[in-house]
Amino acid sequence: MKLAIVLIKFNNYIHNLIVIFTKSNINVILYYMSFISKYNKKIIYPALIWFIVFFIFPLFIIFIYSFATNYLFSKELHFTLKNFLLIFQKKHYLIILGRSIKISVITTIFSIFFSYPIAYFLAKKTKFDKILIVTLMIPFWINYLIRIFAWKLLLSENGILNQILLSLNIIDKPLKVLYSQTAVILGLIYTYTPMMVLPLYATISKIDNTLIEAARDLGASRVRAFFDITFKLSLTGIFAGTLLVFIPALGSFAIPAILGGTDSVMIGNIIENQFLHVGNWNFGSAFTLALAGLSIALILFYSKLFGLESIYKNREF
Amino acid sequence: MQNRKNIFLTIYTIIFYIYIFAPIFLIFIFAWNKAEGYNFPLQGFTWEWFTKFFQDMNALKAIKNSIIIALTSATISTLLGASLTIGIIKSVKRHKTFLLTLLLLPVLMPSLTIGISSLVFFRTLNIPLGIPVVIISHVSISISYVFLIMMGRIEGIDLEIQEAALDLGANWFESLKDVVFPVILPAVLAGWLFSFMISWNEFIVTYFLIGPELTLPIYIFSQLRFGISPKVNVISVFITFFTIFIILLITATQTIYKKLRVRTINHFGNINN
Repeated sequence: MKLAIVLIKFNNYIHNLIVIFTKSNINVILYYMSFISKYNKKIIYPALIWFIVFFIFPLFIIFIYSFATNYLFSKELHFTLKNFLLIFQKKHYLIILGRSIKISVITTIFSIFFSYPIAYFLAKKTKFDKILIVTLMIPFWINYLIRIFAWKLLLSENGILNQILLSLNIIDKPLKVLYSQTAVILGLIYTYTPMMVLPLYATISKIDNTLIEAARDLGASRVRAFFDITFKLSLTGIFAGTLLVFIPALGSFAIPAILGGTDSVMIGNIIENQFLHVGNWNFGSAFTLALAGLSIALILFYSKLFGLESIYKNREF
Repeated sequence: MQNRKNIFLTIYTIIFYIYIFAPIFLIFIFAWNKAEGYNFPLQGFTWEWFTKFFQDMNALKAIKNSIIIALTSATISTLLGASLTIGIIKSVKRHKTFLLTLLLLPVLMPSLTIGISSLVFFRTLNIPLGIPVVIISHVSISISYVFLIMMGRIEGIDLEIQEAALDLGANWFESLKDVVFPVILPAVLAGWLFSFMISWNEFIVTYFLIGPELTLPIYIFSQLRFGISPKVNVISVFITFFTIFIILLITATQTIYKKLRVRTINHFGNINN
């Protein structure tokens, strides 16, 4: 706190000095501006330092761990690729990687399809959009674990879904939905679809209606106008929503643990197991890095697919 | 034709909202239900679970811890994220792409990665796990999200007003505090709120770093793992009502504020006439 006061007083002093000279000297103005610019640059340092110490550096540490065989300060530490090779040697782990990607991709696709009509309706077609958006967020404050558990009981063999279907005579025997990949996908879709609605709504509501009117005037059908204008302009929102759905789905372990069975073990479960039960931090670190690399690679690939690299590459701020 | 399309979308929206709220209805119903399971038929009305909840020290402590963690990490990450945003917009010219890519990394990775790396980091340095460590990790995740949200909102705002304020005689600190900050306040609030939500809902990172303490998601997870407890239903009821209350409070405050402004302007307008 004292340091801040000293800095401010110092700045005041310099400022007063410069004001005296500024009135007649352009070079001092430029110096003053660069002085301010230096101060503006300095305020990014706290966040950067935090970032480097508590995010980059821990990643670096697990990077080291994944190439080692033992704890970091132990005597027998040597470089090894064994941990990474283990991922490829056992078919088991490759299957889990593939399965996690498959589940996450399916979840994301369904999320997009489910949330697009809602976002479109809220953004364009109703006056109550603010109220409805806020209402949509209310269940979000109840931790997703509780809601997933409610789903667990909804989907179980004596659960409400089966009770309804049985009483309406649609099926003869109760459906075994729980403890399967389907249940996990359903749970993931339920948890993360609201996250997709927000960016989509934000993007679609910024689309100028006059663009669509212009397209219609030039002879496009409603469908054509939608796909060529609205949909294309909302791709940014779809991309942002995908980040909020695909990545958490890929790394989730609570939902597969609660709703899934032996055929729906995902990457997150393996990692949790390695760190908290098996105690093999080396392999766990390797697997975590594999997860991180996979996630980043898939997102980069996805953004190239849609030609969206411009979003994060050369933005003019 | 227009009406037909609207009806389709309206029905879809209604079904969607029912889908989102269905488990919530269930939770509400069974919070007052006598039996422990989620089975129909209902067994009768009772306040039993509410009383049990207020007597459960663990549950109350878990909620308190969650609130503390969410408030602290939201505030810290908003401070850091806001200064980061302003600094980057105003003064970073070289290596901008590299810096942005670096800052976006937490968004591109599952929070599991951050949880694990933080766990390894703190255990290697022999730092004890617990609430402070959880706060630190939540901040690490949230800074990037705050940065993204603020970038999205500040884009339309011209931050040259800082230079203008400087020209008019403010010093550097004042120019930010009195001129720039009120203009970006909505973005800052949005970032704070999002950061709070992330921390409040974050289970995975907390799970690895909480050590012996309890937060709400951890408490819920342990309750759900070892069997059904209607106390989690009670918690959900309270959270829902509290959220609705906060929303109404904010809306009421905004309406009152707007009405006061209009009245003041009208009042002084009349005087000037």
